[in-house]
Amino acid sequence: MRVVVGPVSEFPPGARRIVQAGVRSIGVFRVGERFYGIRNRCPHQGGPLCLGHMLGDAVADEPGRAHVSAEPLRIACPWHGWEYDLDSGQSFMGPGEAGVRSYGVGTAPGEALLAEIEAGSTQLRPGPYVAETFEVRVEDDYVVLDA
Amino acid sequence: MPAFTMQPNAVDCDVHVAPASVQDLFPYLSDYWRQYVTEAGVRLTDMAHAYPPAVTGPLPHSFAELAERYLEPAQPQVAVLNCVTGFETHRNPYFSAAVASAVNDWLREEFLGHDDRLRASLAVSAVSPDDAVAEIQRVGEDPRFLQVLLPARSDLPWGHKNNHAMFAAARERSLHVGLHAWGRPGKAPTPSGFTTTYLEDYVGNQPIAQAQLLSFVAEGVFERVPDLRVMLIENGFAWLPPLLWRFDKDWKGVWREVPWVTEPPSEYVRRHFAMTTAPAHIPDDPAAVDQLLEMLGGAGMLAYASDHPHEHGAGIQPLLAQLSDADRDAVLRGNAAELYGLSAPQAA
Amino acid sequence: MTQIDTAPETQAPATRAVELIDCDVHAQATDAMLAEHMGPSSRRMLERFGRSTPKVTDWYPRARNAGMRVDAWPNKPGHIWGSDPEMLREQLLDEFDVDYAILEVLSGQDCYDHPDLAADRNRAVNEWQLHTWLDFDPRLRATIAVAHEYPELGVAEIERRAEDERFVAVLLPASAAEPLGSPKYWPLYEAATACGRPVVIHTGGYVDHRGAGYPSFYLEYHVANGLVMQSQLAGMVAGGLFEAVPGLRVVLTESGLAWAAALRWSLDAAWEVMGQDHPRLRRRPSEYIDEHVWFTTQPIEEPADPQHLVAAIRQARLEHRLLFATDYPHWDFDSPAQALPRAIGPELRHAVRCGNALDLYGLPRERAIVNGG
Repeated sequence: MRVVVGPVSEFPPGARRIVQAGVRSIGVFRVGERFYGIRNRCPHQGGPLCLGHMLGDAVADEPGRAHVSAEPLRIACPWHGWEYDLDSGQSFMGPGEAGVRSYGVGTAPGEALLAEIEAGSTQLRPGPYVAETFEVRVEDDYVVLDA
Repeated sequence: MPAFTMQPNAVDCDVHVAPASVQDLFPYLSDYWRQYVTEAGVRLTDMAHAYPPAVTGPLPHSFAELAERYLEPAQPQVAVLNCVTGFETHRNPYFSAAVASAVNDWLREEFLGHDDRLRASLAVSAVSPDDAVAEIQRVGEDPRFLQVLLPARSDLPWGHKNNHAMFAAARERSLHVGLHAWGRPGKAPTPSGFTTTYLEDYVGNQPIAQAQLLSFVAEGVFERVPDLRVMLIENGFAWLPPLLWRFDKDWKGVWREVPWVTEPPSEYVRRHFAMTTAPAHIPDDPAAVDQLLEMLGGAGMLAYASDHPHEHGAGIQPLLAQLSDADRDAVLRGNAAELYGLSAPQAA
Repeated sequence: MTQIDTAPETQAPATRAVELIDCDVHAQATDAMLAEHMGPSSRRMLERFGRSTPKVTDWYPRARNAGMRVDAWPNKPGHIWGSDPEMLREQLLDEFDVDYAILEVLSGQDCYDHPDLAADRNRAVNEWQLHTWLDFDPRLRATIAVAHEYPELGVAEIERRAEDERFVAVLLPASAAEPLGSPKYWPLYEAATACGRPVVIHTGGYVDHRGAGYPSFYLEYHVANGLVMQSQLAGMVAGGLFEAVPGLRVVLTESGLAWAAALRWSLDAAWEVMGQDHPRLRRRPSEYIDEHVWFTTQPIEEPADPQHLVAAIRQARLEHRLLFATDYPHWDFDSPAQALPRAIGPELRHAVRCGNALDLYGLPRERAIVNGG
């Protein structure tokens, strides 16, 4: 299902929202001009993954000398800190370790969305940080999650 | 020595020798150090706090004694001599370095020259990394030295950056590290202070060795010196699997503190560590031994040792009995031979 | 039409069978919260000089997220992780359907405060548990914090709390000025046992890294929590603590469990060679451990093959000695929903989740339903 998260204008860089898509809780993130969607459930012990810190990589040249790299961008579970690539959902330990489901998130103009909503192929699902439901307007752009 | 602790034709990774008294080292000490010893009545204790009479036979002080008491009955292919006399040395870093040099010269003169089955650990000062490097450079070319001997009990964990130059120097001379139980007396072994019985002190070696293992990995020693191997000598080994489960799990959460540890710690440990088989401290039940072997990932990290003349009670036999011929051969010979680069040992 | 008077139905409170007991929960008091329960001279001393004893986070500060779950910060003024009963009820008791949660408040686990302050601080911890927690939710239980370095004062505090059954154990740190098996601390063990309480020995306290020296990293420090407890257990067994206090029950808490088997093998092997010379060690060490020692599960070890964890439990004979714990709100929290692998099977799962703790603590096996839960 496609889920309209909210107006792009209310989703500035650095923002994140937790949305419900059916029974699933999904975290939607904006980093710069890119959007990411990650299942809000850590594969380790089920913690609320999307409430954790977002971190670039830490790379060491040798013991004691390290720098931060912007990519890959990861989300660290607020419980044990296990990390997952925001883009692919892959565990920081690589493909052999259980990863988390990632979702495509993009933007779409209101006009197109209104047609989809009427046709029933897209749903309006604001996250808990939005105080009330919003209307989709023709002239605005919206963040859309492919759940 | 009870016969069951001897495995003939083995590569024996822990055989003890020691000078009978500090006077035995005099040929290898300067006149100043001879006077230093004599004038103050300095004596060696044979590490009696670690090896009281209840748990040891007589230490070989000469090649003749070693030959009669050990080489004859044990018939090793190779025996690695460990002289832990230097573990008890004063904190005077200069004396510590002088004693280490003297021990190495004594080993070469008194033992290594007499039988080409003999190898040794290279003694270094445990309180001065610079002097340790100097000693490694002085005698480390001698191919009969296999590894740098370090005590498990230390002021600072051995993985600390202060020691990294020593590990690099070791590899430059094709040496590994032997981390041997015990250390300087007078140092409380537990986080809450002194043990009051020998039994506690003895068992206390094992958490200490584990803490050292954590240090080697967390401090990135194997990133700095990728071909270094560490033989844990006389520290037991059955504690390893649960330690690695915990170490891996904790690393996954806090790796950013040590980003040079780029793989799960257990991967480093399996590649770089080995452990001698005395003391064994394994269960009696063969099914439990099998489980332990499975948790260890097989016997590939185990290296046989008699630990002559020390007594540990029930030994490694029940574990050896559970192994295939090939795996038993690896424990008795192959694993150590590979680690130390010994020429291909003959199978029994 | 006959008028029928129906008497109002008296409804017995609904009860449920207990299924989950959390044996390690950290309510955490701020200094201000404790000060409310302390005497004026203690308060003045704290205001003017602070405390002498460093907190572990002062010398290994780089714990993961200050040692806590990121999502457990209450966002209420004056509160910190674990200080808000409502948040704890919501995030732990209700979220996971916990029947009983045993609080271990670590704020008093210090050795180097002088005796007056240590006694007052620990008394305040217990008063805070009483007023802020035990009265708040009937699912909560408490442990008696004591000034353990001053055993006489500690004994007085144990006796002060003994009548209140909701204090279910005495709390000690896993590292103190002397090894915990030392005769210095025996009066505490005797007093706990005399009033029917086990002694919870909880990771922490003042840990001095003497054997191998001080590690550089929190990673090493954290893994070494298991090593600390191994030393303590060896000392308790070898020093004859369980001979001296025959009814003593200790609960080794937050130090892991999978290391127990190898330690038992070591102690037993050593005893064969040298035990007869240790007059206080009259029996095989593993027998003492069988009879006197319990373990909490958290932080549960997670081998790649969960069957190995089951094997470790059975090798150490922990089937009736293992107590489930979450360690809420710490970062290495174990979720009651997920932490126990399926491989342990339903019988062991039930024993760990509640059966063993019901037996140990003598808690009622049925409890009243609270707020619909």
